[in-house]
Amino acid sequence: MEETLAIFIASTLRLAMPLMLAASGELVSERAGVLNLSLEGMMLTAAFFGALGSWATGNPYLGVGCAVAAALCMSAVQAWLSVNLRANQLVVGIGFNILALGATTLLYRIIFGGLSREEIPGLPKLSVPGLSDLPFAGTAFFQQSVIVYFGFGLILLIWWMLNQTSFGLAVRAVGDEPRSADKAGIPVARTRWLAVLITGAMAGMAGAFISIADIHTFTENMTNGAGYLALAAVIFGGWNVGRTIAACLLFGAATALQFQLPAMGINVPTAFLLMLPYLLALLAVAGVVGRLDPPTALTLPFQRGK
Amino acid sequence: MPGRRRLMALSIPFAAVAGSMAIGLLLIAISGKSVPDTIESFLDGAFGTAFAVGASINRAVALALIGLGFILAARANLTNVGGEGQIAVGGIAATALALWPPVAGLSLGLAVILPLLAGTLAGAFWGGIAGVMKVRFGTNEVISTLLLGFVALLMVYWCVQSTALLRQPQTSSSTLPESLPIPDSTKLPSLTGDPESPLHIGLILCLLLALATAIVLQRSTFGLRLRAIGLNELAARRAGMPGSILLVAALGIAGGFGGLTGAIMLQGEQFYLKAGFSSGYGFDGLVVGLLSRGSTLGVLAGALFFGFLRSGGISMEIMAGVPSALTLVIQGLIVIAVAGSVILVEKLEAGAR
Repeated sequence: MEETLAIFIASTLRLAMPLMLAASGELVSERAGVLNLSLEGMMLTAAFFGALGSWATGNPYLGVGCAVAAALCMSAVQAWLSVNLRANQLVVGIGFNILALGATTLLYRIIFGGLSREEIPGLPKLSVPGLSDLPFAGTAFFQQSVIVYFGFGLILLIWWMLNQTSFGLAVRAVGDEPRSADKAGIPVARTRWLAVLITGAMAGMAGAFISIADIHTFTENMTNGAGYLALAAVIFGGWNVGRTIAACLLFGAATALQFQLPAMGINVPTAFLLMLPYLLALLAVAGVVGRLDPPTALTLPFQRGK
Repeated sequence: MPGRRRLMALSIPFAAVAGSMAIGLLLIAISGKSVPDTIESFLDGAFGTAFAVGASINRAVALALIGLGFILAARANLTNVGGEGQIAVGGIAATALALWPPVAGLSLGLAVILPLLAGTLAGAFWGGIAGVMKVRFGTNEVISTLLLGFVALLMVYWCVQSTALLRQPQTSSSTLPESLPIPDSTKLPSLTGDPESPLHIGLILCLLLALATAIVLQRSTFGLRLRAIGLNELAARRAGMPGSILLVAALGIAGGFGGLTGAIMLQGEQFYLKAGFSSGYGFDGLVVGLLSRGSTLGVLAGALFFGFLRSGGISMEIMAGVPSALTLVIQGLIVIAVAGSVILVEKLEAGAR
């Protein structure tokens, strides 16, 4: 029983990790007033280019670099469209998601061929010396992929940046009161640009985690809605880092049940278990946790003097 | 010259389509496939035979219906991204009713009409959930319709996995996870009577609904109110309009169009339910709606274009070995280009006034 619980916790962490990375990145951008519905597409693009980079160079770390670079490029276009061209952020996001699904599928078929399941060089699991042998916590926490430990570091960094630095203050100012921020001399466009790029970098890590650290290959549409779950987690988390991470862990746990319950001999229809994270996300965005209070200027482009 | 500026504003969607298709051709060339061969197989699949034309128009019907629902909700400033899920629930409801023995024996066309209605109502319910979430909890309909879509797709999967639901009786281990085929009496009648052409009466239904949508949007109080609530919700409510009812109704009707699409896809072409039944029509229809800029004629034109694009894309994959994902690339580029050029269009139109 204890062993089962430890495995459950470990797989929850593993499944929640891409959500946590993507959601904490998206949080920065949303606090600055830009919504990236394209998160799903960024993750999928990153997962593909990560796998491609890792396969081509034979080095998974270079693969992670490729993933982050690809997602950064996409987020730069997103920032240009949302901030400079003041395009409808939701529509642009939908476009990016369609494009990402098409482009990764197309490139995958051209480069790897139809139904290849070629393994790519993946990131190793890191057993933390001294801790991984602990009876319960060892299995649960300390036998994860290196990205998991690194990812928690990045999330802490984002929390610190949003709450403890002047850049974080600027981000929140341009997301809540862009006009006042502008008058106070905060460069609204530049701050939003940086925030979207941070989202891109984190979505890149999330995509890299899925293809390079977790599955060790690329499959068509492999993110399968993880980006939307991350967006729901940000809403559920009330645009607060800690609560967003908690929401991701909840969705991760719901996903982990798919593997855990059948293994324990508990018979629940697979379809229901597959549905569970989305159902939870639906309840979450319906505000079952209380009133939602999004950044005031979320999805609203800023134009001086208007 | 004001006329010329307006023309330029109108030409932007066309420019986006042409540019994206050019990029598509470039991608084919880069991938080392023969461009003329690919174009030939594309045209063949889209227009080559009576069958191809009929299939393309049937596809256009599905896309147009989703697009019509989209522009109706968009009039109230709502973005319905849930077409895919609404098709799925419509398909489930239509299958359930068509396979219910008493229905197949009904006369006066009821055997066809009842499953269509069931699909429509199921879709309207699914869209209505997003509407209720919007007015009760302020949930952004983009997120809620997307998540409802995932749930609906998994509901189809569930229905065809379980014999207690819609899966055909399992006679051997190789019985596929699909429903039984629906009885002939519940299938949509052919439009031409020509067994070579799959074209069905969904086309007539679609044209009638397009006309109705145009009239409702242009000439009815309901259409005017949708526009008012879309432009300024607070002002419309202050003017005494039933804001919540209008918003729920708009998403409900959009969902109803989606559900009807699902029923038509099932009763017109597919004839049995299987996982992945909606196969992207919801998203393609959304693109059609976005490109039409709110015009009913625009929806019909866009739907025809994407209907033939999809048929051609499938043939391209089979005949020339170019993945049909290429059509997704083209669509994504079009959406991004059109969304990005909105400011330009507004400037041009402001100049035209």
